[in-house]
Amino acid sequence: MPGYLFKRLVLVLPMLWLIASLFFLLSRLLPQGLGAGNILKGDEQYSKGSKESRERSYRQYLHKTQQDLPLFYFSIHARAEPDTLYRVYPESERLHLRRLAWKYGNWPLVSAYYSGVKQAHTLAAQQDQLQPHFEALHTSTVAPAILAAASSIAEADQENAFQTAILLRNAKRMVEHRQDYLGLLPTLSWNGSKNQYHNWLTEVLQGNFGTSYRDHRAVPAILAEAIGNTFWLLILSMAISVVLAFELSILMVRQKGRKWRRLFLPVLFLTDSIPTFVLALLLLVLLASPAFLQLFPVYGMGYYSPAGLPWHESLARQVQFMALPVLCLTLANLPYLTNQVYRSLATTGNEDYTRTARAKGLSETRIIRKHMLRNAWLPIITLLSDFLPALVAGALIIETIFAIPGVGRLLLTAVQARDYPVMMGIVVIVALFKMLSHLVADALYSLADPRIRYTSS
Amino acid sequence: MNRFLSDIVRIWQLRWAFRLALIYLFLFLLLVILLPWLPLSFQPNDLDLGQAFQPPFQWANVTSATPLHWLGTDALGRDVLSNTLFGARTAVLISLPVMLATTVIGLVLGTAAGFYADSSGKISRASFSGILLSVPVFLYFGMYVPSQAFLLKLPPAVLLLSMGIAILAPFILMKVLVPALKRATFFTKQVPFPADQVVLRLIEVFTSIPRLVIILVLASFMPPSVVLLSFILVLTYWTDTARLTRAETLRVKQLPYFEAAVSAGASTGGLLMRHALPNILAPVIVSFIFGLAGLLALESTLSFLGIGVPAELVSWGRTIAGIRANTSAWWLVVFPGGFLALTVLALQTCSYYILNAMQHHSP
Repeated sequence: MPGYLFKRLVLVLPMLWLIASLFFLLSRLLPQGLGAGNILKGDEQYSKGSKESRERSYRQYLHKTQQDLPLFYFSIHARAEPDTLYRVYPESERLHLRRLAWKYGNWPLVSAYYSGVKQAHTLAAQQDQLQPHFEALHTSTVAPAILAAASSIAEADQENAFQTAILLRNAKRMVEHRQDYLGLLPTLSWNGSKNQYHNWLTEVLQGNFGTSYRDHRAVPAILAEAIGNTFWLLILSMAISVVLAFELSILMVRQKGRKWRRLFLPVLFLTDSIPTFVLALLLLVLLASPAFLQLFPVYGMGYYSPAGLPWHESLARQVQFMALPVLCLTLANLPYLTNQVYRSLATTGNEDYTRTARAKGLSETRIIRKHMLRNAWLPIITLLSDFLPALVAGALIIETIFAIPGVGRLLLTAVQARDYPVMMGIVVIVALFKMLSHLVADALYSLADPRIRYTSS
Repeated sequence: MNRFLSDIVRIWQLRWAFRLALIYLFLFLLLVILLPWLPLSFQPNDLDLGQAFQPPFQWANVTSATPLHWLGTDALGRDVLSNTLFGARTAVLISLPVMLATTVIGLVLGTAAGFYADSSGKISRASFSGILLSVPVFLYFGMYVPSQAFLLKLPPAVLLLSMGIAILAPFILMKVLVPALKRATFFTKQVPFPADQVVLRLIEVFTSIPRLVIILVLASFMPPSVVLLSFILVLTYWTDTARLTRAETLRVKQLPYFEAAVSAGASTGGLLMRHALPNILAPVIVSFIFGLAGLLALESTLSFLGIGVPAELVSWGRTIAGIRANTSAWWLVVFPGGFLALTVLALQTCSYYILNAMQHHSP
């Protein structure tokens, strides 16, 4: 048994590695991170002078977040497109360059043409009559339009005749030597170990899980703060719903339980069809809003409690704030749980040992609690091990609605701010939680049913 | 399949709740289809800041100039009635295609996994290498290049060309390269194809994290859009159907009639399409209905949280989210939430009764 559990525990690690790696690669495939978004914001509000400084800070940002390195050990991209394009700033310019590259399929010529455009434009910045032509060069990818604009610039701008002639020549060469569809072919390039993924993995293996993009605090510290609240919410509502589910099922499975069945089953069925967030909001409106009954405080966890309260009073304050969220989560999960427990109990009712127990003349309570319940446990353990992680989703909604600073709310705010390091931490924690709960379920199996033995083979 | 239909007819005759649920669903579908032609006084996105947070049923305020906001208005004066009705439309337009795609993917992967579960699937090394080569080619020309062409607004010829290559190249690989490889003895050797293991591992990866968490995370990688969100939903929802189909295929495979068909020499396609599929379709339909109910709730939850959907998308969740600005505006929760709960209830009632009837047959 310990050998088996150890083997399972070791298998958890590759799974976590896979999930974290997938997460990392997917999050980096997206070009606009949070910081880049902030730097790129307001392209038009600043004068030309600060454009260069913003370009510099963009490069610094790329360097700091390591986005100037390739993503993985190898990369595949279209032949037309060079792999250094991400350095181009701003975004609109990069998009235009990519369009040109894909369209004309010959990167050296495209690059020569575009640097010609930029040079000529800087020299002719004061000549207002040329601006529309440059505008066209900066936005159009159509060959005739580019040639027309380039030649009219070459004719009109006599001061910088040399530059504009080069521009015209480069434009012509690019258009003449276009390779229409060759650029679509893929190329594979090897990047070696100097890549983002390699650096990230070494950091993680050294125990550095990154810092939040928002407040630069270490991710484990942020998680440790949030986890406590979620833990209490989960454990309390789990305990209450399990106890309630069992008691309700026992009531219903009795021979005289017909009236309870007729009452509870439809009610639970009805509750089950109300989505969690609607249920929580309905309770909020009914029980914590000034329009109806204001029995409970609405939001948060009651931080502003005066210090030095005796423990029972501070606990009482906590309970006030926790009551409604726990009630919501319990109500949202009770129908499914009760239904499963009831079915599991009902099937044991037809077994031989139950009949024997009845024949012995045991009281019904004793039959149910001692004989049927024990045998109904096995499927319920499986259920609970699946159920506890699934509660995380419910907790996310409940925490958001009641503004409880737990993991769920943290995830939601991290998603809204695209705070990837925090999101990664939460995903890994949740996955770990799920795997561990399956492990615990396996261990509990052999406790519930001594016939089950695990071997490490 | 015929038994499935006769089951439905029988429940229809016996159970009033089932009848009610089916009639409700029919009316609901009718509403969704006919909604754009209904004479509503307000469009769902019409703003009227002068009429913010109007309670419902304000008969006294009716004048001929301003039509009544039957179910009140939200923080921006948007009409709750039209938002509720159009929210139903949005929910259905997202959930139904997603569930259809999910069911198809789940059916294909699940039957493949169940059918080859005892590693009876053998494949020559030549075909295996052919498949191994085809997948990246298809991913590059079928997914990467089209997505870039779309992003960069390249001419449609590029799109057509790359899609053409994406379809043709694997075809050529399988029809030309594989026979050529088979001349070498090394490549003719048969190796077991672990279809079952592959599908099971995939399911394991996708279910290792709660669905809502995966969806939130994936949605944060992409700009908010209905199409991308649907894609994410399909990606996370197929596991249920696949698991069910796999179990059902395993069950059917052991039935005497199926073994008879195998020993009579039926082809793999014939076995799957003629013998297995009709027998596993009924549970799949039940899970389709059940999954649809779940998706309706999930879509509303996501739009309530404001994740993955554009802000201008009319939805139940968006209207309900208005309660957070003003907790006394109960009508923002009760009407869209009630409509949502009623629809989910109807769907669950249907699947409950059908499932019950099916369980009575099976030993």
